[in-house]
Amino acid sequence: MAECEMIICRCEEVTYQELLDTAITYNCSARELKLRTRAGMGYCGGRTCRSMVDQVAKQVGSEQSKKSISLKYQAPIRPVNFVDLGGEGK
Amino acid sequence: MNNVIIIGSGPAGLTAAITCAQKGLEVYVIDEYMKPGGRLLGQLYEQPDGTWWNGINESNKLFQQAVDLGIQFYLETAVFNIEKKDNRWKVYTDKETFQTTNLLLATGAAEAPVPIPGWTLPGVMSVGAAQVMTNVHRVKPGNRGIIIGINVLSSAIAMELKLAGVDIACLALPKNNQITHESAHPKKVLDSLLHVAHMAPSSFVKLGSKLMKNNFMKELGVTFFPRNGVKMWDIPIQLKKAVIEIYGEQEVAGVTIASISSKGEVIEGSEENIAVDFVCIAGGLYPLGELAALTGCPFHYIEELGGYVPLHNEQMETPVEGLFVAGNITGIEGAKVAAAQGRVAGLSIAERTGQHQLEEELKDAIKQVADTRKNAYIQFHPEVESGRRTVQMEWEEYWSKREQII
Repeated sequence: MAECEMIICRCEEVTYQELLDTAITYNCSARELKLRTRAGMGYCGGRTCRSMVDQVAKQVGSEQSKKSISLKYQAPIRPVNFVDLGGEGK
Repeated sequence: MNNVIIIGSGPAGLTAAITCAQKGLEVYVIDEYMKPGGRLLGQLYEQPDGTWWNGINESNKLFQQAVDLGIQFYLETAVFNIEKKDNRWKVYTDKETFQTTNLLLATGAAEAPVPIPGWTLPGVMSVGAAQVMTNVHRVKPGNRGIIIGINVLSSAIAMELKLAGVDIACLALPKNNQITHESAHPKKVLDSLLHVAHMAPSSFVKLGSKLMKNNFMKELGVTFFPRNGVKMWDIPIQLKKAVIEIYGEQEVAGVTIASISSKGEVIEGSEENIAVDFVCIAGGLYPLGELAALTGCPFHYIEELGGYVPLHNEQMETPVEGLFVAGNITGIEGAKVAAAQGRVAGLSIAERTGQHQLEEELKDAIKQVADTRKNAYIQFHPEVESGRRTVQMEWEEYWSKREQII
């Protein structure tokens, strides 16, 4: 398997090459890279690829602030049933 | 009714829970794993004095002490959100919703991924997963594996796997790309390993680490690092070889490894295949701050602490009222430091509930954290103390700028 075809975001099937190309073309922040490629926006909420999306943006995209988290966290931070989410569960 | 909820039952969470309970507080501990102990569970190593540190025993001791104090445990319970309403915390889990006035996040750390072509094949796992399988569940991850990523954690786990009778072909670097970056650079990796060289049972490595204090010697060290690696616990450490691909049809069958230059570039024609039935990737640890991030707590990126950490002071308070942190969420360090921080957090929480005359105890506990850090056998980052000072400075800067967030 070639490095360019390597999957970085498993949930949304985003490859390494896609991330690199996007970050270079648009000089992306981590957040913009996420929004353009959907990396980190799948089922796991970016638990697997978050740090890699960050790293690509840092290496080939735009300067990142150290004062705040680059990719926002949003609830639910773990996969949860709708019934539990709505408070109708146990 | 409780006075405090602690999320995470690792060394920090358990110690904090015990401290709070000893001060008469009602304590709930929530953890998503089925056993208490957190990452402590996987630890197994020989200490400098020749005794063995067995994380399972240490966890059991802490857990028993906590249970005897009447602490309530909610294991296999995943927190998916926290919210503050009318000065009370609502803690949403997949079982039930809890409420409390004091919340301690002791959620520890997570492992950073290392992307390698073929890394989505079954049989590829993080090195921490291999450790949990082996030491906690007593299941061999495979018969013969390779570890990609050379760092403190992966070398310790390599030794543990060996103890369990699992064959490790070698520890090698990942192929250099925009993501693996420094972890694929032989000189950078050697640099980060030098300060843990005292752990190595090999006199060659120990001697080497003394010689390589300056940059010139390090350059030489990498240049003359033996092509066949240096052995630690009989496992070859390949600082000049990188895994360029993991192959297999349905699952891992092997890896392709190649020689690399001292800058990490692959040397064409040096590729060879190694047959393995599992692969561990070791990207190091980063603080798991997701719950703190949901509260709006400010964060700061601090390299020496392993990544983004929630702002906090020496008393383990965050700027968010009623929110405390302890353990690896505040920076990557060993279990003993985490436990010492847990004690500080426990005392701070007790103080917030209105208990008096804890100043001396709190001062001692804070000093204990610093002492434990100084005497730690393993430093995950050589500049951890400087990272801690940065947090303090950021904390002061933050307060000089604004009022408390409610």
